This record gives sequence, structure tokens and C-alpha cells, in this order.
Amino acid sequence: MKKKITIDPVTRVEGHGRVTIHMDEYGKVEDSFFHIVEFRGFERFIQGHPYWEAPVLVQRLCGICPVSHHLAAAKAIDQLVGVDPQDLSPAAFKLRKLMHYGQIFQSHALHFFYLASPDLLFGMDAPVEKRNVIAVAIENKELARKGILMRKFGQEIIRAISGKKIHGVAAVPGGMHQTFDPKERDYFLNGKDLPNIQTMIDWSLEIIEFIKGYHEKNRILLDTFATFPSGHLGMVDDVGNMELYHGKLRAIDSTGKITLPDVATDDYQKYFLEGVERWSYMKFPYLKEVGREHGWNRVGPLARLNICNAIPTPLAEKERQAYVAFTGKKVNNSTLYSHWARLIEILHCAEVMNELLHDDEIMSNDLVREGKHRLEGIGIIEAPRGTLTHHYQVDEKGMITRCNLIVSTTHNNEAMNRAVRWVANNVISQKGAITDGMLNQVEVAIRAYDPCLSCATQALGQMPLRVELINHKGELIDERIKNG
Amino acid sequence: MSELKTDSRILIIGIGNNGRSDDALGWNFVDEYSSLKDIFDVEYRYQLQIEDALLITEYKKVIFVDASHKEYENGYSFYKCIPVRTEAFTTHKLEPETVLWLANDLFNQSPEVHVMAISGMEWELNLGMSDAAKRNFDNAVSYFSQWIKEYRDSVKV
Repeated sequence: MKKKITIDPVTRVEGHGRVTIHMDEYGKVEDSFFHIVEFRGFERFIQGHPYWEAPVLVQRLCGICPVSHHLAAAKAIDQLVGVDPQDLSPAAFKLRKLMHYGQIFQSHALHFFYLASPDLLFGMDAPVEKRNVIAVAIENKELARKGILMRKFGQEIIRAISGKKIHGVAAVPGGMHQTFDPKERDYFLNGKDLPNIQTMIDWSLEIIEFIKGYHEKNRILLDTFATFPSGHLGMVDDVGNMELYHGKLRAIDSTGKITLPDVATDDYQKYFLEGVERWSYMKFPYLKEVGREHGWNRVGPLARLNICNAIPTPLAEKERQAYVAFTGKKVNNSTLYSHWARLIEILHCAEVMNELLHDDEIMSNDLVREGKHRLEGIGIIEAPRGTLTHHYQVDEKGMITRCNLIVSTTHNNEAMNRAVRWVANNVISQKGAITDGMLNQVEVAIRAYDPCLSCATQALGQMPLRVELINHKGELIDERIKNG
Repeated sequence: MSELKTDSRILIIGIGNNGRSDDALGWNFVDEYSSLKDIFDVEYRYQLQIEDALLITEYKKVIFVDASHKEYENGYSFYKCIPVRTEAFTTHKLEPETVLWLANDLFNQSPEVHVMAISGMEWELNLGMSDAAKRNFDNAVSYFSQWIKEYRDSVKV
């Protein structure tokens, strides 16, 4: 009898997703889909609002990465007031960068310590009651404590700049609305009330050592699990090094061949198209030149480490070199290496925050620049989960007439579907009984991309994940539903 | 206003979402008392997370306020929170009891925690509480205002 497995909701991801696995009468997987079934539509309802509201409104897309939306929108709105990224005041540029790296630091800490670590510490087949952060707290208090404090550090950076940990306001058209308070700087440097930035660097190095050990012990699993060829997209600086706030877009294919050669972010429309499928609200972006079938790209930590020539901070670069040396591969196409890559980025963010916190310019009052108003603005940044695009058009009165958002998780849509398919084919297909551990492996594959489904579809409300098993007649045979 | 003992500040955390009808009860309750800056520090949460365990360790007394699906007599319940270790939970949503347990387990701190649970009825996307929730809210505020008065008297220098 044919069967269909549905995992709905997929847990420990940011958002609500549904996985369906279709099986034939012999228990062989025929097909699988990662559906995104929530919809909110910020792109539509922001139309008619004045442009200066966009950075504040769009950050409500998400409670995890609002800073990314705030800053991507701010970059676009800067252009509407005639200020390109290179025209920002040095203080505004550095404050935005500090906030952005603080955001990535806290978001990556959230993902690793809260969402991914249970799978790594207890195994993919561990009982469901162990696969959560409370179990991590029970069995590894030090890891849990450090995770909490690292996330807090990043959130405090955001609060110091924007007034709130979530949904604060920092950027204004052409700059920033307030400078950095010297007392706040002392707070992050002196270590009295919060472990200081040097401690963040030290802890980042410690956790990288942990993941290296994990890779040593589990090499075969990590090298093979959800490994498949794909393109990789991200941002680099003028010399091809990792850049997360502003740079050029670079993409490579699964062998390392350049498919997008360091192009200006303002030109993204020349190079990308978005496909749609009837079974998901999330779109499927791809490179026009390469086509829908092979032009899709992974984004995020794994992709960023694949595309960059180097990381421009010394400790993270050393770790990147160790990471590359470990695999011996020019391009890493293994999904679970995302965790190691993410931790190297945590270290990079800590190093950049350290540089910026020691830079007196973040306390300058030269915050806002002006220029000649335009009718179109594009802002692209590297958000925690990958390349994030905000594009606005306005009328002569400054009212938004068009908005296009290409969210990181959207780029990873195809990759997550392929990852699910890999697990379906290699773990579930023709195995007889479907165990909870098998279904968790579907979630592990998705979770590695740290998908933010609420961002990708701009959804609202509870965000669980569901897995369904469906037979050849289209009947639901089994399902698992978990709250997110 | 009388001076209060230095360690008498209370953290009051409203949980909810004011875009979802009666789920605004927690935030509205905190709004009601946010101006009493001599005694309260306030926080707003969509849901409690693990780092709130660290936050509550900075206080001796903490009050969580949340809308409840339960129908309480008089529309609310104000009760002392007991730490509970729970393993079956949703990653992004902890109960006050679990947050207190984590504060104890991870940071060796046990603040005195109370929960103000106020009965709500409607949860769909909407600004503004239902009439029934408003009545429950008023009852809870009435009770809590008296509670504050008594607390102030107990912590006067």
C-alpha cells in the first residue's frame, strides 16, 4: 500500500512548515515536499505607506531577525533619499554594522544552543523528550549558561543601539537616529554586569572546538547526511572576503565555478528570477542565466564560507582554514556543515564587534546624510540565514507603490526540499516501520538551514510543523504534529 | 511618596500579543502599572524564552502576567509560582514555572515569583479586548492595586 508521511509542524525552526512524504505500495519514497503553508503578505500591505515607515514596519515580519529587515529596508530607504551605502557617515555605517553583527551573533547563538545542540548532544534518534534545550540545560549546564549569555550579549548590543532588544528603532533615512553612549561601551567592555566582548570571543572559540570534536567523531554521518550539489550565494567585499553588511553578490556552482561574478547589489534584478510552485507559498529564486533547474542557490553560513576568499578577522579566518582543510574540498555541499560554518561566523561577529566597540567613531554625532530623492531603493544584506533583499518603489509623494522582498529562507527553499528528499530516500524509504527518530532526521535536515518561515511568507500566529505520510491513494496514513 | 528599601523593586513581565484580542491582557496589565517607576521594572514578551531565566535572577520578586484560557472565579487568579522541571515543551515558549526552575538550576537563584492569570475568551486577530476580558481585567487591577498598597507598606524604609 502506498503511504504518505507528513511532518507537521517541523519543530525548532522559526515558522510553520509541513513535510509530506509520498510512498508507493512497497514503502518506497516516490516524492517529498517541504510546504510553507502560512501567508501574510507584507509586500502588499506596505503599499501606500510613506517610505520612512518601511524600516519600522517590515521588522515586524519576524521576532528573531527584525534587525536584518530593519537594516535591509534602511539601506533601501537611504537610496530613496539619495544616500548610497558609501555615502553614509562613518559613524552611521559603523553603528549599523555593530547592530547587524550583534544581531547575527545572537541569532546564531539562538540557533546553535537552543535549536541545533539537542540533536548534536543527544543524537537524532534520542527520545523526543530529550531533544530540546531544557534537556541541554539539565545535562550540560555550562553550555546552556554560555548560550544564554552569548545570546544576551548580542541582544544587549541591539538594545544599546535601538532602544529595545526586539523591534527597536535605530536607522532613519540617510543614517542613524542616535549615537552610542560611552557608558554603554563600558558595559560591553568592562565585564562587570555582563561577560565582556573578549569573553564572547573566548566562548566562541570554545564552542568551535566542541563542533570540531563532534565532526571528528561523526565524520561519515556529517559528510553524507543531506549532501547534494547546489549553487551557493552570498556577499563579499571588494577583494572577495566575507562581508555581511554591504558588498557585492557572488555565486558559485557546486564545483566552485563562478555563476555570479561579484555584481553590485543594485543590479540584482538583472540576475535573479523567482519561480512558484502550487504546493508552497514560498517562492523559489534562481539565477536567470543558469535557469530554474540548476540556478538555485543555498544561502547562509554554509554558502558564505563556500563563496568567500577569506574572512577578514584573524581568528575566524584561522578557523575557516581549518574547516576547509578538514574536508579538503573547495566547495562543501554537506548540509550539516552549516552548524560548524555558523559557529565560525559567530566568532567573526564577535571579532568585528570587538573592533567596533573600540572605535571612538561609534560615539560621533555625525549621523545623518542627505541627497537628492529618488523613486527606487534597493537594500541587500547578509542576514543570519543568508542574503536578504528589500526593494521599494515610491511615487512623487514618497508613498510606497511596490515592494519586493526576497528573504534568505526563500533562497534556501529548494535546498530544504532537496534535504528532505535526501532523508526520505536514504532514511525512510523501504525501511518498514517509521520511527520517531527517522522523522526527526527530516527535521534535522531542515533545521540546519535555520529557516525562518515567518520571514519567508510573512506569517502570523503559532508556528508548528507537521509531517504527513500519504499512500498511493492520497490517504493520510501517519502524521506527527509538534508545536514550534 | 515614601522611600522604599533598595532591594524591593519588582519585575513585572506581561506575556501576550495586543494584536490578538484578549491575548492583550498581559501587556495591558503591565501598561497599567508601568508608570509606577519607583517600584516596578516592566518587560513585555510574546512568549517566555530560556534567557528570561537569567533576567529574573536580577530580582527578588517577579510577577508574570498572562491571559488564560481558564475561567477563574472573579476572572483572575494570582498565585505563587512553583518551579517545575519540564522536558516536554515547545522551544520558544516556556511556562513561568519552567523559567523559575531554570533560574534555580542554571544560576542558583530563586526569586519569589507570582503569576497573575486573567481569563480571556477571544484570541483572533483584533485590536482590543472583549467585554468579558475587560471586566476580568478590571477585577484583577482592583485586586492588584490593593496588593501593591500592602506591599509598599511592607517595604517602606
